[in-house]
Amino acid sequence: MNENNIKSRREFLAAGLLASAAIAGCSTSNNPFAPESDDIKPSGQMVKLLSVDGEIIEMDKAFLKPVPDLPAATNTQARRGIPGKKFVMVIDLSRCKNVRACQKACNHMHQVHPGQNWIKVLSMQESAHTAPYWQPTTCMHCDEPPCVKVCPVDATFKRQDGIVLIDSDRCIGCRFCMAACPYSTRVFNWEEPILTKEEEAQPYSCETSMPQKKGTVGKCDFCPDMSRKGELPHCVSACPNGVFMFGDMIQDSVTNGAETFRFSSLIKDKAGYRLLEDLGTMPSVYYLPPVNRNFPYESGLENKYKPDHIYEDAKKLSTKIN
Amino acid sequence: MKKMNQNKYYLLLAFFVCMAVSHKAIAQNDSVKPVSIVTLRYFNINNNMQYLLLKSQSKLGRVFTPQENKSYEIYLDSSTQNNLIGKVQTDEKGLAKAILPPSLAAQWNASPQHTFIVKEGDEEVLSDYTITKAKISLDTTTVDGVKSITASVMQLNNKNEWIPVPDVEITIGVKRMNSILPAGDEPTYTTDSTGTATAELKKDSLPGDENGNYLLAAKVEDNDVVGNLRFEETVPWGVRTEIDRSFFKQRTLWSTRFRTPFWLLFTVYGIVIGVWGTLIYLVFNLIKIGKIGKNTVEQKAEIVV
Amino acid sequence: MEKSISLTSEQITQDLLPQKFGKRGMAWTTILVVIALFGLYAYYRQLKYGLIVTHMRDYVSWGIYISNFVFFVAISLVGSLITAIFRLTNVKWRTPLTRISEIIAVSAIVFAALIIVVDMGRPERFMNLFLHGRIQSPILWDVIVISTYFFISILLLYFPLLPDLKILLKFKEKTGKRLNRLYRFQGSFWKGTKAQFQLSDKSISILCVLIIPVAFSIHTVTSWLFATTYRPGWDSTNFGAYFISGAFLAGSGAVVVAMYVFRRYYHLEKYITEMHFEKMGRIVVMLALVYFYFNVNEYLTPAFKMKESEHGLLKQLFVGSYAPMFWFAILVGMIIPIIVLIFKKGRKPLPMFIIGIMVVVGAWFKRYIIVTPTLLHPFLPMQNVPTSFMSYFPSWEEWAIDAGSLAGALLVITFFVRIYPIIPIHETITEQNEKDESK
Repeated sequence: MNENNIKSRREFLAAGLLASAAIAGCSTSNNPFAPESDDIKPSGQMVKLLSVDGEIIEMDKAFLKPVPDLPAATNTQARRGIPGKKFVMVIDLSRCKNVRACQKACNHMHQVHPGQNWIKVLSMQESAHTAPYWQPTTCMHCDEPPCVKVCPVDATFKRQDGIVLIDSDRCIGCRFCMAACPYSTRVFNWEEPILTKEEEAQPYSCETSMPQKKGTVGKCDFCPDMSRKGELPHCVSACPNGVFMFGDMIQDSVTNGAETFRFSSLIKDKAGYRLLEDLGTMPSVYYLPPVNRNFPYESGLENKYKPDHIYEDAKKLSTKIN
Repeated sequence: MKKMNQNKYYLLLAFFVCMAVSHKAIAQNDSVKPVSIVTLRYFNINNNMQYLLLKSQSKLGRVFTPQENKSYEIYLDSSTQNNLIGKVQTDEKGLAKAILPPSLAAQWNASPQHTFIVKEGDEEVLSDYTITKAKISLDTTTVDGVKSITASVMQLNNKNEWIPVPDVEITIGVKRMNSILPAGDEPTYTTDSTGTATAELKKDSLPGDENGNYLLAAKVEDNDVVGNLRFEETVPWGVRTEIDRSFFKQRTLWSTRFRTPFWLLFTVYGIVIGVWGTLIYLVFNLIKIGKIGKNTVEQKAEIVV
Repeated sequence: MEKSISLTSEQITQDLLPQKFGKRGMAWTTILVVIALFGLYAYYRQLKYGLIVTHMRDYVSWGIYISNFVFFVAISLVGSLITAIFRLTNVKWRTPLTRISEIIAVSAIVFAALIIVVDMGRPERFMNLFLHGRIQSPILWDVIVISTYFFISILLLYFPLLPDLKILLKFKEKTGKRLNRLYRFQGSFWKGTKAQFQLSDKSISILCVLIIPVAFSIHTVTSWLFATTYRPGWDSTNFGAYFISGAFLAGSGAVVVAMYVFRRYYHLEKYITEMHFEKMGRIVVMLALVYFYFNVNEYLTPAFKMKESEHGLLKQLFVGSYAPMFWFAILVGMIIPIIVLIFKKGRKPLPMFIIGIMVVVGAWFKRYIIVTPTLLHPFLPMQNVPTSFMSYFPSWEEWAIDAGSLAGALLVITFFVRIYPIIPIHETITEQNEKDESK
């Protein structure tokens, strides 16, 4: 599964390669992928390499790594977002069996405090006689975000690509956004985050949400740093069942790495919906109802998730550090 | 049963912790030893750009774990120093990428078929990954308003001729962010004896760029003969989409402080200026009282009513 | 009535001059200082370890700091009621109560602001509110309104104090050198000329008009911190009026308590008379009835419908784990005061004092009930979190900081009384003279 994901996630990379090949070929920069002001430019240093035909072409050094080594977004870039994009996520409830690989990958990549989660996999049952199902819940990246409305200092903000982010260097920790969010998606760094030296040393970026900072709010960020590199968010690529589909509303397409769907048809055919629609928050996350399920609800019960243990262990660890 | 499962997970967890701490594979059980698995993949983009992707994993039972910070040397055809493609180091996902340096041009052009060899230290960990130079081309036709895309896969033979490659699984579609949206109903097609596969474009009026263009893409994945191929071509089949630049012009309750709605701005400033204006006036009154006091000689009467 | 006993200006002055702390005063102050210092120590721990020392977690992200904040804002509203509304409606007996209520207002609003800083995860970034302030956020409205209210209250305290400062300056040997220097700094320019009085009276009139909308705003905006969210229990159009009525009640209770304490401790029976308790009693009954009315409004309509989102919350409040506190706040904060105070005997000083304490305590718990239980009833189920995230009871640090802030507010009042006359001397003399003349 993972293999598959890696295979089909090379688009941006390819774009980069194409772009640099074009530059090498005709030494003009009128290529369709020329970075805009809000886009991040690669290093600009070129490396010579051999083409399939045995000719010598050039490529930007940034693409020598398996994942393009792009410089981190500046605060302005991170606040403005990627132009011409409108990110959207589709979560197919009929495929979820509470594996929580999404949660694990997300927690690991964002160093979420042990016991806390940005992605929650909720066991849902609307009423006594309706069927239970598993519902992964991320930040909804609302188009009318109640959290952004109430932020007193522009610490949480909405970008042109639809993503709602948090600037932990700005956040004053008033937690009004947490009260305002009807999806309870936001978590707070109640204590000093547990980080390795390297994690601590890396420069802070709103796009990576790393490193986390004490006394500030955190939440699912749709991994815009991954999108810039042409990769899918961590939860999408981690899910073994292809529950999460991520894409661009403007391109009208979503993918889970292995399969790609036309967003509008998918939502239409499978009767996609959004959570708490009546609140008017206009989420960017759509759900496909849990019909014709791949797994019975009960199979998800095997995953005994113990946030208590994780939390207590982390507490012991942090008291040791202190 | 459930308990056993749990125990298994705990064992695994303990194992990974050990790995992380000591960087040594200490098995909990002698019979279970992790196996290091290295795979190599060849990529050809637009019949021009090419690179190799190495993946290093350790396998324990059915669980694969990426191996980080491992060094490998990749060679072209034979493991002599002259044929060294490069030394690579894996990242946290166990991946490393290599490009063919220009110095190997002669060797590369000498044959249509090449074998890649991976060495870890002195040990050859991979020696039989062979690919044949190949290319994809795309042809589009419109018959009765139905658009079709024909992809053909060709390989180079020993006489330096391009011959068709049959039985290749190929994805034909429209390039989208992070993926290819299949053009027809099938996710993939297989090339026939002429090396071609045809997909009908079933997805009408897909959004294109500002000029109504989008990229058609064909992709071959992990083929035994040709490796990974991808080819992209611009077609004017899309619906024009303008980049909406009005986003930052909106004045809403969720906009930044620079884009406060006017009604709110005027209300708040109106009230604040009104109230604080009055308060400043009162402070002036206080100052006036002070001035009067300074200019007045102390009066005899204690309290003036 | 007692008021008919004619008092000379000299005697009034003598009676109302600020007095040094006695033994009890010292003990009281020491206790408050100890509690405040303990609160400071708890805050030091919070700064060191982060908000982890509290028992707030991701679901209950606001705890008793916020309820304490709402409580302080509520208490501070009384300044506007007694000084401004009574003045504009020409309530004569307000004179001895104005300064008490103003100082309660000032100290409460100061500690309301402080407790909000305590609640912040990043207090050192407080300046961001001014550097990056977003006027769309109700928090910024609160910042603006609270600073405005604080400034108005200070002015409203200061203007009427000027003639008293002049009187105080004459008692240098009694007040001591240091205080004398303070009085001179603050009020040496006041000569009591006609022009000065005219300006001062005019300013006070303007302030009294101005403070009413601002006071309504502080508590309405505070209620909007909750009502602008979607949460069950907060999502109410009733919230502003509900909060304001509760605030007037809480503040009046506090004034009654302060009246009783000052009267007893400083022997002010001639100035704060039984008549004052009688009148305040009537006011408290009226305010309690109004607040009760809003409570019925606030709970009956959602309970009648029992929407799914409200259901869990209302059940927990009415019969669940929060029921004791909920009914305590309703009973002790409203019903019992109403029942006791409708009887004339209930409006005597001592019962009034006890009822005042009940009203204030009830008001504090009422705010606890407004803030916390709602957060325990999110729209999506509480899952994937440690068990400790799914309930809330304040940690000792939270209690200590809250107690410290209450002690701090009381200390401000205590020191104010030590330095300035708690009953306006000048106004009392003026009123006495008017009364004598009319005889």
